[in-house]
Amino acid sequence: MLFVPVYIIFIPIFTALVIYLFKNRYINYLALIAQAAITILLVLYHYAYTGNYENTLFYFGDWHTAGISLVNDEISEAFLFLSVFSWWMVLLYTFEKGKTDHHFLFFLMFLQGVFLGLLQSNDLFNLFVFLELTTIIVTILIAYKKTGDSFRAGIYYLLINTSGVLMFLIGIILLYNTFGTINIQYISTAIHVYGEETAVLFAYVLMMGGIAVKSAFFPVFTWLPKAHGVSASAISALLSGLVVKGGLYLFIRMNEMFAGANINYTEFFYWVGALTAVVGVMFALSQKDMKQVLAYHTISQIGIVMMGLSSLHDSAMFYGGLLHIFNHALFKSLLFLGAGIIIKAYKSKKVGEIRGVMRTMPFVSVFMIVGMLSITGAPFFNGFISKSIIKYGIIDSGIKYWILFVVNIGTATSFIKLSQIFFGKKTMTIRLKAVPQRVTMMTLAFACVVLGNFYIQIGEGFFGLPLQQITVTEWAAFFDYALALSIGLLFYKLVIEPDYKPVRYIRNFKMSFETANYLFVVFLVVMSVYFIVL
Amino acid sequence: MDPLLTFIVILVGMYGLSTSKNIIKSVFSVTIMESGVILLFLNLGNTEGGSIPIVSRASEVIADPLPQALMITTIVIGSTVTALALMLCIKVFHHYGTVEWREILARGGGK
Amino acid sequence: MIRNGFLLLLLLVLFSVFYFSLQDLLEFQKTSASYFLEYGLDETGSSNLVTSILLDYRLFDSLFEAGILLIAVSGIIWISKHEIEEKNAEFMIDKFKTPDLFVTFSRLVYPLMLAFGFYIIINGHVSPGGGFQGGAIVATAILILYYIDAEKETNIKLIVTIEKYLYLTILVIASLSFFTRGTFFTNIFDPGTFDTGTQSIYLIVLNVLVGFKVALGLWTIFTAFLKEGR
Repeated sequence: MLFVPVYIIFIPIFTALVIYLFKNRYINYLALIAQAAITILLVLYHYAYTGNYENTLFYFGDWHTAGISLVNDEISEAFLFLSVFSWWMVLLYTFEKGKTDHHFLFFLMFLQGVFLGLLQSNDLFNLFVFLELTTIIVTILIAYKKTGDSFRAGIYYLLINTSGVLMFLIGIILLYNTFGTINIQYISTAIHVYGEETAVLFAYVLMMGGIAVKSAFFPVFTWLPKAHGVSASAISALLSGLVVKGGLYLFIRMNEMFAGANINYTEFFYWVGALTAVVGVMFALSQKDMKQVLAYHTISQIGIVMMGLSSLHDSAMFYGGLLHIFNHALFKSLLFLGAGIIIKAYKSKKVGEIRGVMRTMPFVSVFMIVGMLSITGAPFFNGFISKSIIKYGIIDSGIKYWILFVVNIGTATSFIKLSQIFFGKKTMTIRLKAVPQRVTMMTLAFACVVLGNFYIQIGEGFFGLPLQQITVTEWAAFFDYALALSIGLLFYKLVIEPDYKPVRYIRNFKMSFETANYLFVVFLVVMSVYFIVL
Repeated sequence: MDPLLTFIVILVGMYGLSTSKNIIKSVFSVTIMESGVILLFLNLGNTEGGSIPIVSRASEVIADPLPQALMITTIVIGSTVTALALMLCIKVFHHYGTVEWREILARGGGK
Repeated sequence: MIRNGFLLLLLLVLFSVFYFSLQDLLEFQKTSASYFLEYGLDETGSSNLVTSILLDYRLFDSLFEAGILLIAVSGIIWISKHEIEEKNAEFMIDKFKTPDLFVTFSRLVYPLMLAFGFYIIINGHVSPGGGFQGGAIVATAILILYYIDAEKETNIKLIVTIEKYLYLTILVIASLSFFTRGTFFTNIFDPGTFDTGTQSIYLIVLNVLVGFKVALGLWTIFTAFLKEGR
């Protein structure tokens, strides 16, 4: 049981290589078998180690001072389950295509092994290797369609993420020279000794800079809509739903590591999150391309997650942010997969050109509506739960609460705009034979609803959280939601639909690569000044 | 103060990334940054008068072998990133006929 | 102009922060060099401590380092395939001609480079070098071959397949220690019972495999670029 982390890293990689070498459509079914094996191993692992996670630590080659170690805790294990679940969804969704396209399966399975490694690593340099490997595979997956746009998005993504990850690397050498080791657990126990030193603080700043690029925080988010907008829908679902969360996961892990140092990050990252959320919603409102809207909403949802995660560990708000990561993974995957089916049927991405989806594809529409209700935070759906936890954390602090409310209104507006694709006459008669795709969407929609209703049991089972304070059947919750919806509708009719000049300006706003990097430097300097000088 | 010089190399790379308007130059800037990081690692890992980290030829003090081993990994990663970026760059050129960031963004809808 | 000036100012801030953190670092100067000097040879059988870290203490990293190369190779080949019509392809015509002097010297240097590369690979555990470094040298030697004979055709598919098999072999050999020592990714010979000479057999095998893998990988990348140019 101790070596299950190794198995779940190498089973997908091994499968990927075999699939690549044999190029046989029957061999490709091996991907599903491997996936099933990982799932079973993970479940067994969960039952073997729940409650005594300190025993999961093990060193490769038993080299306790110089070796690499893997370790798990509640959070990483929850992420492991989420990743395996997401890969199941993507594999099933793309399997019609994947049966013949072994290249695609190769990259997909390899990425899974690498991502599972990233979640469990207990060594800073090992994290760097995994981060860079994820960057490279994701670049290839973005450029996979081989259109001009996808190449452009790929190189943009690759360069800006590499420069971010290099900052992370500089942080590693600063820490190594201070502590003489790059073992995360060891550093976290010794960090209070050097908690005041400039070197440690600068390492914190540089690492957070790298993580900010990876997970698209406010000034350095511009790669995300490009990358997630052009790639195939299943890949977008995977990237938006999960791979971006790799950055947020590192944010949690690194803040755990630096917990003993004299760093007060709560306020700073709250505002970074708030800005990310507001800017993401602002851009999303102006877009007319369906996938762009969804991609910008990923940014705004990351902002909301950051608002929660910026709070201290073990506070309810932190767990709200954590829960929102999971909820967002579910409903954003659902929305992207649904959008993929619709775009494929209508051969158009424009919100204005697609009409009558409800009549043409009733199943897909119902699932899409579930996703929309979840992302806007309707009661009885999962988005409501995590948003409420975050809301309760900041309800007393005036402006912070209103920012969240504004973001909610923006989200409602933008999905009111998106929901007009459902209305109208039946325009198509094509029957899509896509049973696995429908099954995937049904599973995701089902998960959204289940999490939205049985959150008390699930919260206690996974994190030991008392969630009784959140009541779905409260009138205030419905009132809040209805208020957000009606203001959103008003806002949409008055501002967005007439397409005024500022809206068009935001839509056509493109940030050049050098400007994005410029902002990255500015972000680094601001963090340096905030955390070190002040 | 060698580490300071290597940090300047990193900053040169950052300057290049934030000012160059050409994809090739951006790729080179990343490479420069990477070289700076590698030099920084090796510089900080070295001790005054340390010998090479090979047991049979070592004196009492050796240069730290760990940063050197890590840097081999970083060099391999760096070369693959450069190769991939240049290949994408060639492809972008084929599609757009230019390698200027602004012109590329201006063409093809620019989403 | 103002933009660049402000950028310089920002970089100056970063520089000064680094200056102050360097003062701390020079004070601490923690390294783990003494540990490796004391135990490195006995525990791993490699006199070259860098190799001992790469192929034993941190073999897990090195596996993924080789994996990155593997992924990049397949990615570059995938991207460089011409399936979709491209507009400006006629700009990329092979215009240069290799000078004769260069060709003559390349013929002389080529076998020497190849031999030097193999030397570096095989002696990776006693002298500076190892699989990654030697593999790069061997790859460079092969690249010079292209200058000697510019029309040379390479069977990329075959090379890529061999590379994948090599990577699989590396993975299998690296995990063999699970059966002999009960733990993953270390030397298959226990340092308690075997002497360093026996342990170095494992290191040589692994170095040779890694060396070939790296050489083939870089060769493929170069060929992909060459095809793109033609």
